[in-house]
Formats: sequence, C-alpha cells, structure tokens
Amino acid sequence: MNILAMLLINGLAEGALIFLMAAGLSIILGLLGVVNFTHGTLFIWGGYVSIWVFSLFGNFFIALAAAIIAGFLMGLVFERLFVRQVYGNVTAQILITLGLMTIFTDMVRLLWGPNPIPADRPEFMDGTWIAGGVIISQYRVFLIVVGILVAIGINYLINRTRIGMIMRAGTQSPDMVQAMGINIKVYFSGVFAGGAALAALGGALYVPLVGSVWSGMGIHNQILAFIVVILGGMGSFYGSAVGSIIIGLTVALVSWFYPPLTVYSTVLLLILVLSLKPEGLFGTAVRS
Amino acid sequence: MSVLTNILQKKSTISPLQAAGLFILLAALLIVPTFSGMTTVTLFSRIFILAIFGMSYDILRGYTGIINLGHALFFGGGTYIAGILFNRIGPTLDVLLLAIVIALAFSAVIAYVMGQFAFRGTGFSGVIACAMITLAFGEIVRHTAETFREFTQGADGLTFRIPEIFQDRLMMYYYALLFMIIMTIILRQFVNSPTGRVLQAVRDNEQRARFLGYDTKKYKLIALVVAGMASALAGIMFALLTRFANTELLTVQSTLNALLYTIVGGTGTLYGAIIGTGFVQLAQNYLLELRGVHEIFSRWLIFFGAIYVLVVLYMPRGVIGAYYQLLASRQKRRKTE
Repeated sequence: MNILAMLLINGLAEGALIFLMAAGLSIILGLLGVVNFTHGTLFIWGGYVSIWVFSLFGNFFIALAAAIIAGFLMGLVFERLFVRQVYGNVTAQILITLGLMTIFTDMVRLLWGPNPIPADRPEFMDGTWIAGGVIISQYRVFLIVVGILVAIGINYLINRTRIGMIMRAGTQSPDMVQAMGINIKVYFSGVFAGGAALAALGGALYVPLVGSVWSGMGIHNQILAFIVVILGGMGSFYGSAVGSIIIGLTVALVSWFYPPLTVYSTVLLLILVLSLKPEGLFGTAVRS
Repeated sequence: MSVLTNILQKKSTISPLQAAGLFILLAALLIVPTFSGMTTVTLFSRIFILAIFGMSYDILRGYTGIINLGHALFFGGGTYIAGILFNRIGPTLDVLLLAIVIALAFSAVIAYVMGQFAFRGTGFSGVIACAMITLAFGEIVRHTAETFREFTQGADGLTFRIPEIFQDRLMMYYYALLFMIIMTIILRQFVNSPTGRVLQAVRDNEQRARFLGYDTKKYKLIALVVAGMASALAGIMFALLTRFANTELLTVQSTLNALLYTIVGGTGTLYGAIIGTGFVQLAQNYLLELRGVHEIFSRWLIFFGAIYVLVVLYMPRGVIGAYYQLLASRQKRRKTE
C-alpha cells in the first residue's frame, strides 16, 4: 500500500514533467500544424541555462525564470528565421527542426562540455514528508503542483481569453484574422515561443529531479513527449494531459518493478492504444 | 491525372551522353587507388558504402514520401549482426553469408512490424505520426543494443575480426565499389518497376493513388522492407570496412546522416545519394583537418546541422535538382532567343 502511494506520487511527478514537454508540442502541433523536433533540445537548454544561472545567483526561482526566458527567445528565433518559411510543408518542417536540433544540441556540448554536470535540488525542497508511513519527496509534490498550474493556466489562456480566441481563430482561417487587422504572425510566433518556453521549464525542473544535466537527456524525454502526443491524440490538449499522466504512471510503475523494461513499456502502451483507437485517446483532426 | 499516369507508365533510359559520363566516372574510380594514399582509398570505400545507406533512404524519402527517423536501426543492425556473428562463431566467409541471411530477415521483419504501426494514418497527421513512431522504434533498438552489453559491448563499441579476403584495404575498395554498383542497379530496377511507379504515385498524391485502387499502405510497407534490407546490406559492408560497431550507428544522428546524404544530392534520384554522400564525407574530412586552425572545426555536428538547414531552405531538390533547374532555365533562354 505504501509502495503504491509512493509510486503514485512518483508517477504523477514524472507525468507533470512529461506534460510540460508534451503540452508545448501539442499546442504547437494543434494551433500551428508544426511538429517541433527541437523540443528535446530546448529541454536540454532549459536544464543547462538553469544550472548555469543557479551557479551565478544561487536562487532556484531566478534559475527557472532564466530557463523560461532562454526557451522563449530560442523559440522566437527558430520560428522567425526558420519554421515560418516552411508553414504548410510538413516534410520540410520535420527536416528543418531536425537540423536545428542537431546544431543546438551540439552547441550545448561546445559551451558546457560533453560530460554530465551534477546539480543539487534547492535546499528548501530537498526534504521529505512522512504521511501515514509513506515517504513523500517535497520536490515531487512541487512538480505535480507546477504541472497542474501550467495545465490550468494554458487551458484558461486558450479557451477563456481574447488572445486564446485569436489564436484559435487564426488556426481556422489566418487570412481572415489578418484581414480584421490583427497581426496573426505575431500570435503564431508567440505560440511557438510559448511552447518552447514550456519545454525549457521542463528541462530546468527535470535536472534537480535526476541530479545531473547531460546533452543526451533531450532525445529520451522528447520521445516520451511524442508518445504522449500520439497516445492522447495529436493536437488535443486534454489528450496530452491525460496521456502524460498515463505515461508517467507507467514509467514509475515499471521502473520500480523491472527497470530494463521501462523504455519498452511506453512504446508497447502506445502500440496497444493505437491498435484499439488509431486516432489516439482524444484524437481529432489536426490542422492541415 | 495525367501526371499520375505519366509516372505510372514512364520508361526510363540512359542517354548515350549519360552512359559515356558514367563510363568515364567508373574508369576514374577504378584507377583512383593507383595514385592516392590509403586514407583516400578508405574514405572512398566509406563513401561507396554509405551511399547505399543514403540511397535506401531515398527510396523512402524521395520515392515514397516517407520520413523514417529510425532508419539507422537497419544499417546499425546489419553492422552489429555481422560483428556479433564474427565474434561468436568466427571470421569466415560462411559466417558472412549467415550474417547476410540473418540481417536480411531481421530487417524485413522489423520493417514490416514498424510499418504496420507507422503507416496507420494518411496525409498530414500520418506523416507526423510516422516520423514519431519510427523515431521511437529506432530508440528501442538502440536502447536494446546498449542493454545487452554481453553481446554488443554497449557504448564502448564492439571490435571484431573479419574474413581474410576483406582485410586488404585496396581489395576492400573494389569490393565496396562493386557493392555500390550492384546495389545501385538493383535499386534502380526497383524504382523503375511497376511497384516503384506506384510508390511515386503514393508520394505525389496518396489519396488519388488509393482511389485508383492501390493499397497504398501495402506499397509503403514494400518500400520500407526494400529500403531496410538495402541498408542492412550496407551495414554489413560497413562492418567489413571498419571492423567496429558502436551504438552511435543506431542513433537518430545516424539516420540524419542518411537523410542529409539524400537531400544534399537530390531526393528522388538515387544517384543523388552518391553525390550527397561524397560531398558530406569530403566536407567532414576537410573540416576535421582545419581543427588545428580553430576549435570550432572539430564540432562537425554544428556544420552538419547548418548544411542541413541551408539545403532544406534554399536547395530543397539538392545538387541534382539545382543542376536540372539550371539546364531548364538555359533551354528556356535559348528558346526565347
């Protein structure tokens, strides 16, 4: 029972982290129709920038903010200079984001070296609570809270605000929105950069959890996020939230009982869902 | 409609001029080793073998319109199968034959299973799902290779001995050249066959091809199986050349190499892969020599990515495409004069 409670917390924390990646991917895919392979790279940059800033100022929240800003700016550059030129051409989008992924992943190795850099958890969150015999890591609870807040925030932004309305309208018919005097391109850039910032935040939060940062951590988490996005249904925000929880719990469960199977279990789960429901759990049509 | 039927019926032949060009090129390649060092000979052998890896990707990307981000698993799989068998049984020609049979069976089966899941959707979301699912498959194979250290030595890399007749670098050059020529002929036959024509129809307009009664998923599966088998064979040749395998061969980066070879040369041309591989390998070699000038030149991947992005943005049809464009514009100018 205690183990189950602990695994539940671990799984939800893991799910919250994956969600930060998957949410950005899913929003960019759903609203812009772009599949972003630089997401894992932004994740790494978030991790490296956060520990770099943390070593300068020693404040965890400044480090997180720096990671978010770095991710946002990189996303802005990627969208403005490269992705914008290939809207509507799926193949070129995949190719160009893969190229950026290669460049910026190697740039990390150039700037910070090829070896993993150890990172500590912020002291005030390093502790544990014991409730009913269950040991609860404070940092994991913090991750879950962040995940929930981000989910609520994005949902509010997209469905309840004027900005969200314009973005949704722009997805339906960009020319019409443009004709009404709204510069839709700015909103598209904003969506892309916002998704990128979420990935960087995910990276910055991931590093203290695993205790080190290395350049290979991006691709692994990117694949998990892809699995979530397909599992939940491409472009569906709810789908990516539910998918993240499912994948997070699966990873926590399998890695507790038999670690070597972790990587296989997520893909098997994906295959299982796709055989039963080819469009994913909450799949609707993606903008084409 | 007419475009589609044109593609379906078009016969392809080589003009006398092209034949002469090919002949000269072949003659030049045959005598390269006589006046160049061993490094050049090995580099060229490498190019010949990797060109087939690139060409196999061209069948997917250029002829069928599939983006397979796990393609390295076939190539690396071939190298590992050969290496493990040479280590476990012995470096003989019989074992090589066994490795070829196993690698072909391995790649055919994996390609079939992978395709079953990757080719579920069609159209826009189909392409994306395919890229993501194949990426996951590729990572699973890489992960497996890293987990079963007993067989693969994990990230340290696997060294092995090879049959005696492949040990001579000079002979290996000719074997590699021969391999490239034979594979090019086979793959050319394949893309010009009726099946190959259907693949191009699927690439140009999958929905239309389906309405014409073609089971497009079946044809995509065929393309993936053929491409997988071809790159597994290239992987075995690579094993014979380098006598070494590591998990680097199975990474996404390895897949991106093949992708870059085809897009630099020109997709949908087959020969483009040879040009692209030559260009990329020579550029990599040249930049590595500049390492002494500035440290940045040792970061090949940054240049790799830059070439990649530039080609996608400004030369989407590669060297061969640009060449044809030049020819076409010249002809147009002549006509107007």
